[in-house]
Amino acid sequence: MSLPSFDVIRPRTQHAAVDELARYGAEVQMVAGGTDLIPSMKQGLFAPRVLLDLKPLRELDFIRFDPEQGLSIGALTRISTIAGSRVIAEQFPVLHEAAKTIASPLLRNMGTLGGNLCLDTRCLYYNQSHFWRDALGYCIKKDGSVCHVAPGGHFCWAVFSGDTAPALLALGATVRLASPRGPRQVPLEEFYANDGIVHIAKARDEIVTGIRVPASNAGWSGVYKRLRIRQSIDYPLAGVAAVMQKDEAGVCREVRVALTAVNPAPRLVDAAILKGKAYDAGLVEQVAYEAIRTGKPLRTSASTPEYRRQMIRVFVRRALRELWLNGRAEELGVTAH
Amino acid sequence: MSLDPALVPNSRNGSNSSLVGARIPMVDSVDKVTGAGKYTDDLTLPGTLVGKILHSPHAHARILSIDASAAERLPGVHAVVTGRETPVRYGILPVGHDETIFATGKVRYIGDNVAGVAAESESVAEQALRLIKVVYEVLPAYFDPEKSMQAETNLIHDDKPQNIEKEYHHHFGNVEAGFAEADYIRDDRFECAEVTHAALEPHSTLAKFDPDGSVTVWSSTQVPYYLMRTLAATLKLSEEKVRVIKPLVGGGFGGKSEVIPLELAAAVLARKAGTPVKITYTREEVFYAHRGRPRQIVELKTGVKRDGKITAVEARIVQDGGAYCSYGVVTILYSGQLLNAMYDIPNVKFDGYRVLTNKPACGAMRGHGTVNSRFAFETQLNMIAEVLGIDPAEIRRRNLLRPPCVTVNGLRVLSYGYPECLEKVVERSGWKRKYGKLPYGKGIGLAGSHYVSGAANAIVRAEMPHTTVDISIDRSGMVTIYTGAAEIGQGSDTMQVQVVAAELGIGLDRVKIVAADTARTPVDLGSYSSRVTFMAGNAAIAAAREAKKQILAAAARKLDTTPENLALEGERITCRDPAWRDLSLSFAETAALAVGSDEALRASGSYSPPASAQGGKYKGAGVGPSPAYSYSAQTAEVTVDPETGEVKVDRVIAAHDCGKAINPLAVEGQVQGSVWMGLGQAVQEEMVWQGGRLMNPGLLEYRSASTLESPPIETIIVESNDPEGPFGAKEAGEGSLAATIPAVVQAIHDAVGVWITSLPVTPEKVLRALEEKRRREELSY
Amino acid sequence: MNQETIQLHINGKKFQIETEPNRLLLDVLRQDLGLTGTKRGCDDSSCGACTVLIDGEPQMSCLMLAVCYQDCEITTIEGVATLRGKDNELDPLQQGFVVEGGAQCGYCTPGMILTAKHLLAQNPDPTEDEINQALSGNLCRCTGYTQILASVRRAIELLRDPAWRDQEAQSR
Repeated sequence: MSLPSFDVIRPRTQHAAVDELARYGAEVQMVAGGTDLIPSMKQGLFAPRVLLDLKPLRELDFIRFDPEQGLSIGALTRISTIAGSRVIAEQFPVLHEAAKTIASPLLRNMGTLGGNLCLDTRCLYYNQSHFWRDALGYCIKKDGSVCHVAPGGHFCWAVFSGDTAPALLALGATVRLASPRGPRQVPLEEFYANDGIVHIAKARDEIVTGIRVPASNAGWSGVYKRLRIRQSIDYPLAGVAAVMQKDEAGVCREVRVALTAVNPAPRLVDAAILKGKAYDAGLVEQVAYEAIRTGKPLRTSASTPEYRRQMIRVFVRRALRELWLNGRAEELGVTAH
Repeated sequence: MSLDPALVPNSRNGSNSSLVGARIPMVDSVDKVTGAGKYTDDLTLPGTLVGKILHSPHAHARILSIDASAAERLPGVHAVVTGRETPVRYGILPVGHDETIFATGKVRYIGDNVAGVAAESESVAEQALRLIKVVYEVLPAYFDPEKSMQAETNLIHDDKPQNIEKEYHHHFGNVEAGFAEADYIRDDRFECAEVTHAALEPHSTLAKFDPDGSVTVWSSTQVPYYLMRTLAATLKLSEEKVRVIKPLVGGGFGGKSEVIPLELAAAVLARKAGTPVKITYTREEVFYAHRGRPRQIVELKTGVKRDGKITAVEARIVQDGGAYCSYGVVTILYSGQLLNAMYDIPNVKFDGYRVLTNKPACGAMRGHGTVNSRFAFETQLNMIAEVLGIDPAEIRRRNLLRPPCVTVNGLRVLSYGYPECLEKVVERSGWKRKYGKLPYGKGIGLAGSHYVSGAANAIVRAEMPHTTVDISIDRSGMVTIYTGAAEIGQGSDTMQVQVVAAELGIGLDRVKIVAADTARTPVDLGSYSSRVTFMAGNAAIAAAREAKKQILAAAARKLDTTPENLALEGERITCRDPAWRDLSLSFAETAALAVGSDEALRASGSYSPPASAQGGKYKGAGVGPSPAYSYSAQTAEVTVDPETGEVKVDRVIAAHDCGKAINPLAVEGQVQGSVWMGLGQAVQEEMVWQGGRLMNPGLLEYRSASTLESPPIETIIVESNDPEGPFGAKEAGEGSLAATIPAVVQAIHDAVGVWITSLPVTPEKVLRALEEKRRREELSY
Repeated sequence: MNQETIQLHINGKKFQIETEPNRLLLDVLRQDLGLTGTKRGCDDSSCGACTVLIDGEPQMSCLMLAVCYQDCEITTIEGVATLRGKDNELDPLQQGFVVEGGAQCGYCTPGMILTAKHLLAQNPDPTEDEINQALSGNLCRCTGYTQILASVRRAIELLRDPAWRDQEAQSR
């Protein structure tokens, strides 16, 4: 499985990278850790003429937290750095948990935040060798016209499988981008589109430079639940990120729940009914139900859509119960199931 | 590079007894930990081209035409070969010569081999493949064995009606009478998904032709001898013109235990190109080469008396064999034959069907043929025990064999450590405290399994030993073993060095080994069916004894006594008579005397299984008999999450009767590896098919377990001292795999009360079974 | 083809080679430099057989374009024994894998050892769970990991042994 031919350019500054990106236009593709792109290139999914290596952009490798300014992470920060960051573990536990579940230690040492946010959507009919896809007759996402997951439709259901995105969605993060037109910020939920082919709302000449989480959302308790068959290496088959802020009486003040790996984009689940309430298993169940209305898994991954939906429900229920009760389930007389 | 000598037993001054049973590191392990050891893909010769194979995109199609002219014209391409040039049919079994190097006329699965190219680089080779124009006429294809068995037209092979490769109908004793006698009869259907070896080293072959027309092939193979023969047959060369060398092999598990298409393709391309060619499979190609464990449907009926004593067993087994025979005839026979030799079963009926389907060929995989049948049998026995209220360990005790004995189907059992295996795991696991008594969600299960120590009847019907080991001792006293046995990571080389050193009373560092090079080493049939320790071990001992005789004779001449008066131990030859104790010779000086005017002292030993171990005379009787069987009993403990269905295996204890642990370090490693592979098949691994399309042809989606799902595996070695085994040894590398699966399945039942009869036990299956159970319980109120 | 001259720093030595930008470090190590201890096991970056240390950290060379790693110190399995600065001496991890049976077929072994090397450099006294976590990206198909764990534990013991520590001090 040889890689197609290409040139590699390695700009040393963000400024230079933006220039190069604009210069090569449609011929260029960005690479950082390579954990997503390189295997896909071996499979013939991409064949850019030029690869723009972002790794030399040390200026985008940082984690900054300031109680006033909030959290700022550079796009070139590696997943292992995020997983190992003390301030993130303390102030943004949902992101810490999500980061440490990603793939394997080797892949976390290579993959970056920017790469994880911009992860290509995945599908069993798409992430296959050229031989395999050719034998099938290709699919709507690449070189073909049919979706094998939902034949007859004209929609691509490939799933977004990033783990940091749901955590950051739950944290209300914004994405920072740079282009020849200057920097801009967009709320993370607007960065994604629910379309397996064009799932990122980013212009071709834009570079993701980092994310920002508002200071107001620091210190929220959070959990990340992830469905997988193998406890390492695998992409998630479903993921639920949830954060909550409570008052001393245990009344929910803020809550956000997000899903990954069940739609072409990470999605927020409407959990507003919990606000201002004390723990209520019925309300949790309603949010869990809302989650399975939001998550629309199809046969894009191992395991069945039915099972993945069911697990979303279980994970949302468990996540909210954990956050709300702080493990005080027993003293409140709440049974485990 | 050297190893701290204090860490390694060597026993230069010890006795045989201190070497046999010592924890000996693998003799090639320093090469492996430093990266110095060479596997096939690590080798390159000047001018080596990259070989690539064009695979069929169709599951079943007629080839109407192939136009390779554009590929041939591509700069950098040196050879293109298609099926027209490779008409000779071959196959690992004499009854199954149904493959050709490249397809002639028809392709039979997605991934079948259509053409080969040899080019100056991988990318040029890949480009050339795309330039080969093949016109196919697509044919209806068969993917499900039970449907394939109904086929009347568009047969996969014209000479196999109903797409049945082979069927067997065995009846020993009288099952009708047995069932009539039974107090309780159970009938269950079990399904086991297809799994594959997934050895970490992808297959690789390097082939080089000499100007005289002889060929040397370096290959990642478990069977150098069979490869040599098949190369000779398919390339139409005489056997002395073919040399096969096996470098280090990065795992086999059966996946390299027959000739794999790339091995022949590399050679045929090298001949045409006139320069060396290397083919290394992509991981996806490894999945298409496959030869793994077939999907199997087992319909099993067992009758028992009220006390649990088995009166009759009837099994109908259908195997989804894929498009070629491979080892299939042996697989289906093992599945039926090895229902026996574990317990005392007076009446056994077996109907087995090896069915062809348009998928990659299944073949031999660790525990060949026995694993899925054993899973079904042990699970059903546990179900019966539950219904009858008998402890699962006890029901097994009530059905033990009484060796020495011959089973109803003619299998001879001499050594039988199974009762002790059962006792040991029951004791170590705290079985009596735990079984049926753990909190909801926690469970423990128990099961047993066994395996052959080599097949008593060789695949190749020829009057020759199953293995021969030669020894030469030079003037300096260095001993060299020449053996055809194939080291594939299981410790074959180490075992032979160890037994020869033990037999000669010398240190390990005095023994070198030359292995698996058909031009330099005598014939051994290969590393499969767990035959090496038993067979090559016995042959090595025989060779060492012969050498020892010559050494002692030389010493006797020198010391003016008779060999019977001499002992060889701790690298010294001494007189047995205490009065003459100080009269002694060193091994090295005696070796010089024994060599005399020759170049070296030579000795040879062979092994053939005794006639008494070769089984009955009926059709299919040849498969199943073995000179000795290993036995295993295991407990598995699990935690089941009833809300997600997820199963976590917390602990496995495996007691394995290997006869005698010549090297406990290696035995433990083999048992742990087997158990772990069983765990993979139990809960995680599966080849996922959509029609003839493999949905997970890679290690990302095939999901071999990582450290995180792999529980501690505790091993207990049981030594039954087989009367015919080398130092009493039997096999250790396969027999423990099968028991793990039913032990886990029972543990899940113990945890949450559901029996899962379909493998792998995915969380979803557990969840559905729990929902079903809940519905049933609600209905019954 | 667009050949480039690149410099790689591998096992304390500097290599200058001509290569195309689309070559993987894995292939350059194996095919151009003869450092075949680094293995290819899969094509989808899931197995870890190709692990090398990049500035001391385990990463997969099947994901690296060689041209992009010119500024890094690369360590392959061939560099482990001599890393101690003393020839003829295996690393404690290598000793551990030999003595405890951590290498059966040996194909995952270089990657396992390099990953474990990083772990022990960061944490000389890891718990069982920490060892399992650290090695969870390196697949082994032979051992079931039990003897690999024992090998790492043996290396930890060796490293604790004062005799080893003296040697380590001398070699610096």
